[in-house]
Amino acid sequence: MRPLYLLREAMNNLRVNRGNVLIGIVTTAFTLVCFGVFLLLYLNLKNVSGTLQSDIEVIVYLDPGASEQVVSLVQKRLKTEPAAVTLTFVSKEQALRDFSEQFPEESLLLEGMDANPLPASVVVNLSPRFLDTESLSAFAERVKQLPGVTHVAYSQDWVDTLTLMVSYFELGAVVIGMILAMATVTIIANTIRLSLYTRKEEIEILRLIGATGVFIAIPYVIEGTILGALGGGLSLALLKGVFEFLRLELNASGWFAGVEHILPIFPRQVSFLLVMTGMLLGCGSSVLSVFGLMKARS
Amino acid sequence: MIQLFHVSKVYDRCVALHDVSFRIDQGECVILTGPSGAGKTTLLKVIFGAETPDSGQILVQNRNVARIRGGAIPYLRRTMGIVLQNFQLLPQKSVYDNVVLPLIIQGVKRREARQRVMDVLKAVGMEHKQKIRTGVLSAGEQQRICIARAIVNSPILLLADEPTGNLDADLTMEIVELFRRIHAEGTTILLATHNRQVVEQMNGRVVHLQEGRVESDKEATR
Repeated sequence: MRPLYLLREAMNNLRVNRGNVLIGIVTTAFTLVCFGVFLLLYLNLKNVSGTLQSDIEVIVYLDPGASEQVVSLVQKRLKTEPAAVTLTFVSKEQALRDFSEQFPEESLLLEGMDANPLPASVVVNLSPRFLDTESLSAFAERVKQLPGVTHVAYSQDWVDTLTLMVSYFELGAVVIGMILAMATVTIIANTIRLSLYTRKEEIEILRLIGATGVFIAIPYVIEGTILGALGGGLSLALLKGVFEFLRLELNASGWFAGVEHILPIFPRQVSFLLVMTGMLLGCGSSVLSVFGLMKARS
Repeated sequence: MIQLFHVSKVYDRCVALHDVSFRIDQGECVILTGPSGAGKTTLLKVIFGAETPDSGQILVQNRNVARIRGGAIPYLRRTMGIVLQNFQLLPQKSVYDNVVLPLIIQGVKRREARQRVMDVLKAVGMEHKQKIRTGVLSAGEQQRICIARAIVNSPILLLADEPTGNLDADLTMEIVELFRRIHAEGTTILLATHNRQVVEQMNGRVVHLQEGRVESDKEATR
């Protein structure tokens, strides 16, 4: 078998069938753009969620009457926790200074009081492996049981909502991805079928002179793969164009001031994934249509 | 070479072949005659695996074509050359590209393929038109190209179905002469025709079909 001959035949198929091929490329591109938009939304949200989650701290408030020995014991126990990465002890005095710095107007309220009402605390930074809802609440429950601990605080609602949103997006990506993949397969398979019907006589001649089904099918599979890759490439160009345009517009309007580092991203993997998805869908759908037809003719 | 045992084929209650049995030895030239609808084309089709007989067995080089699986048919066809009445050429491709196809399919190396194509084009007197698209050739030239394509892989058996059906008397004689030369070089030929002139000039064994049955089987006269 000669690979160059088969490739030349595939290119010839694309040339002869160029009207249908062009329609196939454009429709594939638009379908993949829809998929790409959803993928970008999902990846950006996951990125934001990851960034915010990594900032989550657990604050362990200590009993104001706890002795130094108890405080030391709490810190020791916290150090043994596999989830805890760093511990920062915040004394009552430090807590008051921090409060005054962060809320200078409200600090006047504390000045009239005889004693410092703010409790000492230990700020715990957790390992990324323990930032999911279950691990966080389990950690908080364990710490709450320690003697000298009055309260454990972390932003659970925020974490829960974000985790839920990401999981919904994951599910949505799978469902929408499947629907769009089916649409793309149908479009490319029909283009290949038209190509096959156009060259029906040629296929009959090839069969007459001893060509195997695989030999006849390969140029059409190459044609479908090229069509899918071109569709993927066009969708990437469209998506990247619109994305850059929007980013410039939004940056100019100042909407994302301060959060550019987390929003929005266009990872290289998306570019690769779009072209690869196009290629795989093109290859798969042409294999389906070619072998379906071969079977019907034999 | 070819043995048929009680081969029958029916299309929608219409009998195409009925209990056909005969044998063709290596190097023989057999002319299949009979009126239109006698079963000549069907008989050729069951031999090259385009149709499956309803009953009977067909041995081609000791392979039972009646029971051959679909995937083996291309390999069976590579051992034979097939020439049909309606030429079956790729009109957009050149003479060379049409003739070289069976060799590409069989994976013959480019240089060897080129040599073999040039040899057969010379044999059919078409070497000077190798770069011309087959779509612009005359009927006689197209049939020569078909014959060149059929013999380029040196088949042991050449099947031809009404190869002169679309040609005038002069061109018919040219094609007959070509077949005679191919036969003289040792290729077994099974040629279906209802043209008396072809039957006489080919001077081979004549198997006459009538309504799907073998009515007579006469050896060559000379």
